[in-house]
Amino acid sequence: MHVLLADDDAIRSSALIRVLAAVPGLRLSHLQSGQLLADAVEMYAPDVVIVDMARPDRDALDDVRRVTKANPRPIVMFVDQDDPDFMEAAINAGVCSYNVAGVPPPDMRPILRAAIALFRRHKEAQDELRVVQTRLEERGVVDRAKALLIRERRMTEPDAYRWLRRRAMASGRRIPEIARDLLHDSGKAQP
Amino acid sequence: MSQPVRIGLLRLADSAPVLVAASRGVFQDCGLAVRISVEPSWANIADKLTYGLLDAAVMLPPLALACTLGLRGVRAPLLVPMGISQGGNSVVLSTAVATAVGGETGAMATGRRFAAWAHAQPEPPRIAVVHVFSTHNLLLRYWLAACGVDPDRDVRIVSVPPELVVAAMAAGAVAGFCAGAPWGAVAEEQGAGHVALGSSEIWASHPEKCLAVRAAWGADNPMVLQALLRALLRAGRVCDDRAQAGAVADLLGSEFPGLSRTAWRAALPGGGAMEQLYFHAPAVWFPWRGHAKWFLGQMGRWGWLDGITEQEKDVAAQSYHPDLLEAVARSEGLNWPDEAHRPQQRHRGAWVWEADPRPIDMRADLFCDD
Repeated sequence: MHVLLADDDAIRSSALIRVLAAVPGLRLSHLQSGQLLADAVEMYAPDVVIVDMARPDRDALDDVRRVTKANPRPIVMFVDQDDPDFMEAAINAGVCSYNVAGVPPPDMRPILRAAIALFRRHKEAQDELRVVQTRLEERGVVDRAKALLIRERRMTEPDAYRWLRRRAMASGRRIPEIARDLLHDSGKAQP
Repeated sequence: MSQPVRIGLLRLADSAPVLVAASRGVFQDCGLAVRISVEPSWANIADKLTYGLLDAAVMLPPLALACTLGLRGVRAPLLVPMGISQGGNSVVLSTAVATAVGGETGAMATGRRFAAWAHAQPEPPRIAVVHVFSTHNLLLRYWLAACGVDPDRDVRIVSVPPELVVAAMAAGAVAGFCAGAPWGAVAEEQGAGHVALGSSEIWASHPEKCLAVRAAWGADNPMVLQALLRALLRAGRVCDDRAQAGAVADLLGSEFPGLSRTAWRAALPGGGAMEQLYFHAPAVWFPWRGHAKWFLGQMGRWGWLDGITEQEKDVAAQSYHPDLLEAVARSEGLNWPDEAHRPQQRHRGAWVWEADPRPIDMRADLFCDD
């Protein structure tokens, strides 16, 4: 079985390549960066394509569903009819797979399972990273707002924090939002 | 409050009503919580609607019909309760092809010269569209065929995402493309090609994006759907207002970074682009079944509906649901068109559509070969 992997994320795709290397009889091709998905499918003529759903060029695979003279090998998205949750898990993780020309190979499902697990782990890590980044950014914003209050309104640091907190509670918003507004307004006042 | 409505959209000017409704509190005023999901591809929108990860989307009408008919594999019934936009697409030719085709204006003259050029090429030149089941593809094919180009033999139509198509054209990988705003303006800005014609020159006042919702979601959430339609009607009106276009362009620019504000502004009402995009008047919002039938007719023309029965086509046309919009539209003070008495013939100029309580002043709706 020949699998084409369309994933530009180096860490994630090398992890999947390591997993798939253990599958006997499996040949793996990897989409070159900058190569369009449809061109790669034509070039490699794989049996299975595993696709990162964040790719904008995935739309091209909807062209080749139908058998035509120019396209004797239709490409069909793999759907597990017996397990409706399977597709939801795959889409949530951001990965899908296509099989080319006919029935999906019997070992399709475990391969896609492995891909889903890797994509999900990657997504969780990205989400976590984003949360941490947001927290760090927010802390910076609050610190700058406090500094502004200390400088311009001669508050002590605890007073500045209490000032922000009071505003946040009164307006039902979060302290970083109040801080951001304060900095924004002061930026406007002093162009 | 119920679960937030999950709405999918792409980075396009047509998405403006949803962004406006979110940023100006229109959804909130209508009692709605909304989660917007900006997707990288139409396939994502279709798959997420199919598997219940989105409730609604700004959608290509032919793709909505294709989902309902099961043309993408799984049958995924969708409802089309409202039109979102009208016009706005451009056919762009690379600088080299545009030079070879020459400067004649008018869809038919340009098309005939393009036909002569295409027939002289050793290989069928590649032209890109955004998706096989797109308004762009069907309008492009209509124009090509009207000008003597067989869209399945004399050219090769391929799907390339808009954000890659300008570079693909600059590199000579495609001879041209048909895409929505602001991509025509972007191609010209980057010196990669020229807008040869606007999609309204192929079919004047053609419907562009629609709102599509999962049929099951619509049935389970009738009140939420009504609120969603109300919010989008109000936001569509804002997007059609020239006085607001600057603010709407700013919003598009900040939500979808990476493109110049000038390109967004050009696409919006009063922006001076060759092709005009409308969001509200006249009756852009009305999900007319005649439009569904035209799309289905064209899909059949190119052999995409082989094996689909007439009855199935009728059912697909019935996925357009003006009945779901009527009460909301009337209560928003809109004149409700008389669907049964829309004139059969098309119009070279302005015409009047009977509506309640007052008739609606419509614009020309001719095809390029009428």
